[in-house]
Amino acid sequence: MPFFLMENITKTFNLAAEEVQVLKGINLEINRGEFLAIMGTSGSGKSTLMHLIGCLDVPTSGRFVLDDREISHLSDNELSLIRSRYIGFVFQNFYLLPYATVLENVSLPTLYDEKKTDNKKKRVIELLKQVGLEDRMGFKPSQLSGGQQQRVAIARALVNDPELILADEPTGQLDDKTSREIMSILSKMHQNGKTVVVVTHDADVAGYAQRLIRITDGMICDQTL
Amino acid sequence: MNRPANLFSQSIKATFAFKLRAFFCIISVALGVASIVIIVAAVEGAYKKAFDIVEMFGPDAVIIVGGNDEARAVGGNKDKTITLEDVKAVRESFACAYVVVPVSMVGMTTVFHRDRKERTFIIGSDHNYSRAWSWPVVSGRDLAKEDVKRMKNVALIGRYLADELFEDKDPVGKYLFAGGLPIRIAGVLKERGTTPRGHNMDNRMVVPISTAMRKMQNEKKYVSMLRVRFIDQNNLEFHVEELRMFLRQRHRLHEGEPDDFMIISPKEIIKFLVALTGSLVLFIGIAGITTLVVAGFVLANLFLLSVKERTREIGIRRAVGARQQDILFQFLGESVILTTAGGLLGFVTGFFSSKLLVFVAQFPICFSWKAFAAGIVMSWAVGIVSGLQPALHAARLNPIEAIR
Ligand SMILES: Nc1ncnc2c1ncn2[C@@H]1O[C@H](COP(=O)(O)OP(=O)(O)OP(=O)(O)O)[C@@H](O)[C@H]1O
Ligand SMILES: [Mg+2]
Repeated sequence: MPFFLMENITKTFNLAAEEVQVLKGINLEINRGEFLAIMGTSGSGKSTLMHLIGCLDVPTSGRFVLDDREISHLSDNELSLIRSRYIGFVFQNFYLLPYATVLENVSLPTLYDEKKTDNKKKRVIELLKQVGLEDRMGFKPSQLSGGQQQRVAIARALVNDPELILADEPTGQLDDKTSREIMSILSKMHQNGKTVVVVTHDADVAGYAQRLIRITDGMICDQTL
Repeated sequence: MNRPANLFSQSIKATFAFKLRAFFCIISVALGVASIVIIVAAVEGAYKKAFDIVEMFGPDAVIIVGGNDEARAVGGNKDKTITLEDVKAVRESFACAYVVVPVSMVGMTTVFHRDRKERTFIIGSDHNYSRAWSWPVVSGRDLAKEDVKRMKNVALIGRYLADELFEDKDPVGKYLFAGGLPIRIAGVLKERGTTPRGHNMDNRMVVPISTAMRKMQNEKKYVSMLRVRFIDQNNLEFHVEELRMFLRQRHRLHEGEPDDFMIISPKEIIKFLVALTGSLVLFIGIAGITTLVVAGFVLANLFLLSVKERTREIGIRRAVGARQQDILFQFLGESVILTTAGGLLGFVTGFFSSKLLVFVAQFPICFSWKAFAAGIVMSWAVGIVSGLQPALHAARLNPIEAIR
């Protein structure tokens, strides 16, 4: 059984009068420790798929298994718990809390984690060291560069030690050099045993992955190893 | 740290992060709570004052004075309506009254002892005077039935008069002169102090009513007032009505004619006090409630605005594992923290402005935990009521909508 399995997943949005089917039968397996890239034209449904993988949203139909657990029909609370246990998100626009410091931003997921671990703060500092921001702990996001903000976001995604890192165009706002820095951090996480999924428009970024899938019009049309 | 503490710390952080919102919330709640606090303290103060006054007056007692407001305005002798016969009749007919005491006001008179003199208030009454006012005789003896019967020249004097005329010597058995009469001091009344209006209760002399009427006032029939105390103070109102009917009948008043006497009971006193404080309390009360309701609406809107502004934040929190109720409690926590801060500020404001009120208007104010509790409870109520809808809105946001 793969770590992650989607069978015949569809997603339909109800917009005013019309229904828009964004995902039209996705079949996808992701193995533990894999590094997967997803590409596709704008509006093809990549982000929608990411949100489903990350349990931020539920599919309209289809089967969905994570770590041997059927999760397509879980309650909102149970999905929140899965997000806090299994998933770390990295977004294109970083999505940090503007009024919180770097330290507080990275700590955010620990507030909603039921696990009792005493060394949360130590772990936060350890992660900030890994992304090279241990001297910026008291800064506000607005005092950081884009690359630094994205590194904070990566540290935040890792703080609850999730198995799955989902990055939706993590380098979309960054220049080439910074993009390479961010991708090398994500690669390092992959080497440390994380399962990483990256959505990107950039072939160079996709090049870091072990496997690439392409989405066109809500369907997976191409898989390259 | 456990989850509620985590959420609370987030609420506090956000409270400080959005300073303008905090400022408006705190000020608007503080204004409303300040007035509520003043009201509670004023009501308590009025009650306490009324209670003190009733306690001093005698909760089981009434006073019947001759005449009425109308007669007094016209002037003349119309306030002479209560007779010694009335007193006797009341005493005989009302078994439920344990004290029925007539009083004659002789008025301010200069009294002499050797080379000393002092103006004092002379009252005529009977052997029950001390009992009728719960005013014990602390040295010497009380007036006796015999003193009244025989029209004796004896007196009880107040502490102040005793000190002025006799200094540190014992006045009992000594003589003073009042209106040419030599009067022997029988006893001294316990010290009672000065009334809030500045009337010195201890500058007085009480002589047998017969002596006062015949020898000082040249009066055979009328007394100034009548003091009655009832055994059963719970039925006082009923007794007052009975007494009124009884006197009307004796005075042969026809239906429709006004009373030619006034019965002052503790209830009258409380009515008077309530009328005095009531209008101010009502005014501040309406102002306070209005302010709080307005504050509630302002708050609800501010919070909703804040939630809309922070949609992204909510999406982020949901993405990293926050449940709906975590969001709900965080936002509700923020509103309650803000209104509580407003409540505390309001209490302090109310406390000091009521001190000012006491200073400017001699308004009776009494601060206790009740005023504090009322302020805090009101601020929580406003916080929860106005914060709930925005917080629910925040909690129910679809995470993917919030994060797009
Ligand atoms: N919550 C929503 N409600 C309605 N329509 C939506 C919603 N989310 C996405 N869509 C629609 O679904 C389609 C796919 O959107 P999605 O964001 O998944 O595309 P994408 O592949 O990530 O595009 P991009 O590369 O521009 O980010 C779009 O047409 C979009 O308008
Ligand atoms: Mg997208």
